[in-house]
Amino acid sequence: MTDDPILIFESVVKRYGDLTALDGVSLTLRRGEVVCLIGPSGSGKSTLLRCANALDPVDEGRIRFDGHEVKSTESSVRLVRQRMGMVFQNFELFPHLTVLRNITIGPTTVLKLGHAAADERAKKLLAKVGLSDKALSYPSALSGGQQQRVAIARALAMEPALMLFDEPTSALDPETIGEVLSVMKTLADEGMTMLVVTHEMDFARRVADRVAVFDKGRVIEEGAPQEIFTNARVARTRDFLSHLGWHGEGAASVSKREEA
Amino acid sequence: MDINIQPILQSWPFLLKALMMTILVSALSTLLGFAIGVIVGALRTYGGRFANIVLGFYVDSMRAIPLLVILVWTFFAFPLVIGHSINAVTAGIVGLGLHLGAYVSETIRAGLTSVRRNQMQAALALGMSPFQAIRTIILPQAVIRMLPALGSLCVIAIKDSAIASVIAVPELLRQTQIVAGKTFRPFELYTAAMLCYFILCYPMARGVDRLYRRLAHLGSS
Amino acid sequence: MSFDWSIVWSSLPRLLEGAWMTIWLACVTMLLAIPGGLVLALLRLSRIRALAMAATGFVEFFRATPLILQIYWVYYVLPAYFDVQLSQIATAVTGLVCNISAFNSETFRSGIVSIRQGQWNAAYALGMTPANVFLRIVAPQALMRVLPALASTWVSLFKDTSLVSIIAVAELSYVSLQIRAETYRILEVLTAMAALYWLMGYPQAKLVDWIHHRFKVAE
Repeated sequence: MTDDPILIFESVVKRYGDLTALDGVSLTLRRGEVVCLIGPSGSGKSTLLRCANALDPVDEGRIRFDGHEVKSTESSVRLVRQRMGMVFQNFELFPHLTVLRNITIGPTTVLKLGHAAADERAKKLLAKVGLSDKALSYPSALSGGQQQRVAIARALAMEPALMLFDEPTSALDPETIGEVLSVMKTLADEGMTMLVVTHEMDFARRVADRVAVFDKGRVIEEGAPQEIFTNARVARTRDFLSHLGWHGEGAASVSKREEA
Repeated sequence: MDINIQPILQSWPFLLKALMMTILVSALSTLLGFAIGVIVGALRTYGGRFANIVLGFYVDSMRAIPLLVILVWTFFAFPLVIGHSINAVTAGIVGLGLHLGAYVSETIRAGLTSVRRNQMQAALALGMSPFQAIRTIILPQAVIRMLPALGSLCVIAIKDSAIASVIAVPELLRQTQIVAGKTFRPFELYTAAMLCYFILCYPMARGVDRLYRRLAHLGSS
Repeated sequence: MSFDWSIVWSSLPRLLEGAWMTIWLACVTMLLAIPGGLVLALLRLSRIRALAMAATGFVEFFRATPLILQIYWVYYVLPAYFDVQLSQIATAVTGLVCNISAFNSETFRSGIVSIRQGQWNAAYALGMTPANVFLRIVAPQALMRVLPALASTWVSLFKDTSLVSIIAVAELSYVSLQIRAETYRILEVLTAMAALYWLMGYPQAKLVDWIHHRFKVAE
């Protein structure tokens, strides 16, 4: 990790009609850093991710990615998205394409990479997420955990500078969550810059460099995971964690499914 | 381009009567079509193989032959088979009803079979007879699901009634032709007729949509 | 009453010529109404309000009025008031294409809307252009859902071509009614006409059932 910031949110405000989803969020992500966003449902975490690659335009404030402002003009947005991978809660694999084609469609249509080179890249990534044998399957033949691993490979195929994860395990069966988290852990260990919205507190505690706690569209607390999970300063953070059954370091904190 | 609505103003009682005829023909052919459709749909679903094959032939034939052909045949050819003439309005209603009935029956059949088998079993498990189960459990759910399709069939019945003009049923299109021919103002008259049909059909289509959205949850077992 | 069925055999060449015109009309109309429907659907989904409203108005109007009246309207009104001189066949195709395009546009629109927003987002997140997202991700998926409705529209269209007989386009209905008027063999000729439509339409109805079965969206 360096001190080199790659993604900066400056007082970002996002409204949907009367609802203020983001109420002045400022956050900085440095190159090589893993930041987890936690907090109650509807607190604005996922909205922040969608604003980062301009799937949702912001109403006020600024977002800077790698030194350039993320504007919502058509062509500049596409440049940002090419370098920012995103993984969705519901996988969103393309059901009419094979696993291999799901991974190569980005590089071939957007980066204009040749099919042979794209296939080779895809096969390496499939090996990395442990699904080499599924290259010619269609998404409907895969379990949720397998689909999400393909979705991660699809995002990595663009060779992004940054990965956004939007609750990547929330739609999974308990027994397949571990396989997805372990792929994410490997990525983090390799030095990938990651912004992760998650409800998996063990993952946040063990993998994140920093944790930001959201509530009602604001970051109410931010710090190293040890501080947040053992020694939260803000009362609402402690409330949120205890609602999840988290009572500080040690108690029920070692998840069985994530041992792998 | 000059527009002259004088002919419409002069002949409006004549056209109003024609509009009433359109409504009458649509309503009666819809009634006939729905009666045929419910019986045929239910018999094809629950009536065994033989009924299914015979009635299936009727339904698919109606889907294959244009309404204009059915109307022309009913009015001009059928009287030669039975040996005495039929008046145009009766022939129109019967032809429209026979044609519509095939489509209604397909909708009914799809609706009845779309209710999950477990619903039938759950009803039988409560000790209901199959007839009670269909009447109190299956049919009400099916009807709600069929509403949009049945609603659009009503709209189609109104639009199709205009085809009865080819056998000289004195409905809106036929009488519009007559006035247009006499006054040489086809633009004004056909446009006015267009608006009449639109005013009849469009609110109906929208109304059924709205009703369905309010009831949809009741039909989703 | 005696019937003379030989009239059917002697008129068969003319009837078949009419049937050929029926097939031609249906094919040409559908070929034009697929792009027509697609354009209308995309206009309706467009963010430019005026375009979306104009397209909606066109579609709703043509869906809520009788095709037979639309054909008369095109026939009498275009030449007399807009100084457009079209042949009868061109008039027939114009009327049919407007009508079928309106129905196709609803089919395409519901197909496009049925692809959930997440699929658009996932494709956008890869940096794809809107055109690529539509052509490579949304349209192929929508096509599968749209096929059954398109097939049903095709069969309706095939039958609806009979309505252009009112403006003397020499398709099967018109030719049959002409022969009837010439020969007064009413029952024989009209029955032959119905039989020819049946022979062409029945397999199509069966094919539509198969397509509905094959491409049914699992819910």
